[in-house]
Amino acid sequence: MAGPDTDDRDGTDDRDGTGDRDATGDRDGPGRHAQRPPDDAFERYVLPEIEVLLRVAHSITRHHAEAEDLVQDTLLRAHRSIGTFDGRHPRAWLLTILRNTHINRNRRRRPELLRDPDGAEERSMAMEAPERTDDMVDRMLDHEVVVALDALDEPFRQVVDLVDVDGLTYAEAAEVLDVPVGTVMSRLHRARARIRDHLGRAGVAPGGPS
Amino acid sequence: MRWDSLFRRRRDAPLDCHAVAERLQEYLDGHIDEHTAARIEEHLEDCRMCGLEAETYERIKAALAARRPEVPVESVARLREFGERLARGDEPRTST
Repeated sequence: MAGPDTDDRDGTDDRDGTGDRDATGDRDGPGRHAQRPPDDAFERYVLPEIEVLLRVAHSITRHHAEAEDLVQDTLLRAHRSIGTFDGRHPRAWLLTILRNTHINRNRRRRPELLRDPDGAEERSMAMEAPERTDDMVDRMLDHEVVVALDALDEPFRQVVDLVDVDGLTYAEAAEVLDVPVGTVMSRLHRARARIRDHLGRAGVAPGGPS
Repeated sequence: MRWDSLFRRRRDAPLDCHAVAERLQEYLDGHIDEHTAARIEEHLEDCRMCGLEAETYERIKAALAARRPEVPVESVARLREFGERLARGDEPRTST
């Protein structure tokens, strides 16, 4: 996966910032797509990303059925616009479609559904999955990491979920959240620092209390 | 030339704890250039406090990565089938 520009520490990036919610994520104008995509572009670029899309969809919806519906809509929109896709960075392209589709879907809902109460239940169910650890200290540390993660404000938690849990790069997480890479980095680093401070206070950090 | 060599010497000076703390997370994420990574690594080997701090963040990252949920196989299968139908030109009717 392509890494982000690590010098982008001040929150700037190269996007046009139009706020266009065109679900295809096509922000660069007609000149970008000089080459016609291959006939099997959808199979080649989109189908292999279904699992990643579903994982990310679950992170942003916190609901399995909702995540599946979101990915289905994303696939549909990707299929409709595959003819204008230039084949570069398919995952980033798809994550942009997924994000815009998610925003469009939420616009059609009641605002109270945006904060899905089932999410908390699902999170606690996810936590019930026993982690394989070697000893009690590791288990305590893992437990305290989860406690600290749940205490994070949503924007910080989202970034941790996307990068540390789902394994996206900074740049890919920036696509999902529609924020500059620098913002992803800053939120992520602050979130981890809060988790680290919590571990220090709980007495389970290798270095002890910070 | 003199400024270049002065700058180079300054860049290659050993990193202090503050400089390492500033770039530590990028280093652990592998989002840092090789040269800086090598200098941070050198500092982490020499400085016990920074070494422990790095270990803590590595443990946090490992604990978080271990939480990666399995995506439901049935969902993946349904979506794949949906995608394959689209690829064949059989676009299902949806509310989108």
